[in-house]
Amino acid sequence: MSALQKTRLRIFMTGVGGQGTLTATTLLARAAVAAGLPVTSGEIHGMAQRGGVVESTLLIGYKSPKIGPGEADILLGFEPLETLRALGYLKPGGLVLSSTEYLAPLSVATGKDTCPDLAAIKARVAACASSVRFLPCRSLGLEAGAVQSGNIALLGALCSLGALPFGVEVLAETIRATMKPKVAEVNLRALTLGAEHPA
Amino acid sequence: MASPLISGAPGQTHLLLGNEAIVRGAVEAGIQFISCYPGTPSSEVPDTFFRLSPEAAYTFEYSVNEKVALEVGGGATLAGALTLVTMKHVGVNVAADPLMTLAYTGTPGGFVLLSADDPGCHSSQNEQDNRIYARLAGLPCLEPATAQEAKDMTVAALTLSRELGTPVLLRTTTRVNHLRGPVTLAEPVVLPAPAGFQKNPSRFVPIPAFARPMHLRLLDMLEKLRGLADTSPFNLVSGAGKVGVVASGISRAYLADALLEADLTGTVKVLDLGFTYPLPEKLLASFMDGLSTLLVLEELEPVLETEIRALAQRLGLSLTILGKTPGPLPRFGEFSVGLVAAALRAVLGLPVQETPGCQAEALPAPLPNRPPNLCVGCPHRATYVAVRKVYGDAAVYSSDIGCYTLGILPPLKAADFLLCMGSSISAGSGAAKAAGQDVVAFIGDSTFFHSGITGLVNALFNRHNLLVCILDNRTTAMTGHQPNPGVDKTNLGDNPVRVDIEKLVRGLGIEQLRKVNPLNHKATLGAIEELKGLTGVRVLIAEEPCPLFARRAYGQKRTQVAYVAKQCGQKGECGECLDILACPAFYKENGKVAIDPLLCSGCMLCLQLCPNIKARKGEGK
Repeated sequence: MSALQKTRLRIFMTGVGGQGTLTATTLLARAAVAAGLPVTSGEIHGMAQRGGVVESTLLIGYKSPKIGPGEADILLGFEPLETLRALGYLKPGGLVLSSTEYLAPLSVATGKDTCPDLAAIKARVAACASSVRFLPCRSLGLEAGAVQSGNIALLGALCSLGALPFGVEVLAETIRATMKPKVAEVNLRALTLGAEHPA
Repeated sequence: MASPLISGAPGQTHLLLGNEAIVRGAVEAGIQFISCYPGTPSSEVPDTFFRLSPEAAYTFEYSVNEKVALEVGGGATLAGALTLVTMKHVGVNVAADPLMTLAYTGTPGGFVLLSADDPGCHSSQNEQDNRIYARLAGLPCLEPATAQEAKDMTVAALTLSRELGTPVLLRTTTRVNHLRGPVTLAEPVVLPAPAGFQKNPSRFVPIPAFARPMHLRLLDMLEKLRGLADTSPFNLVSGAGKVGVVASGISRAYLADALLEADLTGTVKVLDLGFTYPLPEKLLASFMDGLSTLLVLEELEPVLETEIRALAQRLGLSLTILGKTPGPLPRFGEFSVGLVAAALRAVLGLPVQETPGCQAEALPAPLPNRPPNLCVGCPHRATYVAVRKVYGDAAVYSSDIGCYTLGILPPLKAADFLLCMGSSISAGSGAAKAAGQDVVAFIGDSTFFHSGITGLVNALFNRHNLLVCILDNRTTAMTGHQPNPGVDKTNLGDNPVRVDIEKLVRGLGIEQLRKVNPLNHKATLGAIEELKGLTGVRVLIAEEPCPLFARRAYGQKRTQVAYVAKQCGQKGECGECLDILACPAFYKENGKVAIDPLLCSGCMLCLQLCPNIKARKGEGK
């Protein structure tokens, strides 16, 4: 059994309000329940709907819904700046999956501030993580049929790495069981695009 | 599709949000009546009840504020209905007056108050600890830590209240309201229809002569409840050793994980307290027997710690009790697994264990923040831009609670002080009178109905001098588009009994009133300038639906979006629109201002500010 396939797992997810971070989290949690795993998931989103940061968690084999600094086995960043901001939650040597496509904060969009570039973010992530996968989530989402499904592409990549105690099929089945057929179709395409995206 | 919360079969397991689990618990207990005022982190409870109301048998209402919600619920339980009233922690302050007497009169149909506390102030103005209300009002208190417990304790709280005829406090915290976990369903109880109010003045009318025996009855009730807490299945002892830990609420989850990770499960004696008030003294006496040290885990105030220390003193025990007074744990903010683990290791005399985070190297510069912002097309932004043009920094901006509090950020800077729901008008009145400054108060439609009306009546009666801007976006936007008395539409259809804010204000006798659509910049500016020139109580009603709500509830579709036709200034360096509006659809690329057509809502406010911004065909968001 690899270190990543242990029965206890903490996954930290981060993104921008409106991106669908919580939808992805709930989907993953439902899949974990379907796989018979003891799961707890948490979310903090008080004012996040108004374009703020949305952070959520998924824990398997724990009772707490919260992940502290240095505790996450896996960090999923649905936006690269937020991946970098949340890097402190990663356990040294953990796994990071992140989108490469920015959603610029207002201060950056209006030219009052600057974001670290992707090369800088990749270098920092590589310095902490043992395994890293970057994907163009928004583009993959658009290719699948809806920009929001880019999150599901990231989950597809996560499954393809064998990092979860269940496979991509469980996630696909959960998508079919919980989403309307048309939405499910788009998300299943995104799942496959993410799973098959070259490293 | 029928919701599993209403029609899920016993034995099924569903992944539920803590707040959904509370709804299912209420359904299983046979809930008949629910009233509320929404507020994070409680809102998904009433919103779920509302959404499911067409397929359910209960009566549900969004009340205008928490005091009203508790009184409506109080009346329902007096008439025999099994009742749940929900609110966020600060809402209990508003509802405190009726709450203090409800435990005196008792609650024949059964009555549970859900107080959703917010340690860490994730979305609140303070982090007050409402377990103290249980002590103040004389309510037994249950505190879940998992989704399953959120359901089970809701059933237990409602059942207990109905059996004993006394109100119960179900106290949650943000982490519990907003966690998700598997919940196994049980069979819902079907209760007989409410029996109706049974007249008995000596029991239900607390004139002084009756209130005194009522208080004695309550004190007896609390002793009876203490006995139930001693034997409650929610209060469990596990492990063994000379070191003990008492944990309550979500701290129990942190403790379980801290013990698990350090491989210490079973090596310390643990008392999980779920039924936390009245303190189970017999259980604690036997738990403390033989312990050398006791660590008390509870977020916020040292409530249990103080009570347990008093009990130990009374029992003549000499064990060391640790918690927050003096330490090692903080009296503010949330706990975490790491914090609990560190306290535990200190108590056990184990070496400190560092959890190194990943940012070994410091970042060269702080990352750009991503604060929440008013949405594209938000009518509040339009009002703020106009008010700022007229008053600038010369007025004091008395703010209130809602999306519009986000106007605090530059460049709008439209929030200078804030106390609580409804305070903008009354606190603004006092500020204006004390030193003669110009005061502009901002209050949303739902908050105006909640507790702004009394402030406005007071301002009139006491001849205060301020401009009140009622930001009427036709819904309760911040907490998730709940209806209020003024709305035309709810998420379930039309509101047949709209209370007209303008008529209400005019009915008070206020003539200095202007009503505008804030997206009409010129008219809004004119109205504000006119009102600025007057004295006394002046009211501006800025009415325009929240665009997010308008799309969903009114089917609003805009057919144009804005674009920058020409850069301003000799070298295109102007960018004033960015600096004034802070609209999220604007961005700067290669020094040029542009508007993202995918983000633009088509509100067309910017066109009225700059002649070089034009409209073109497009689908407004």
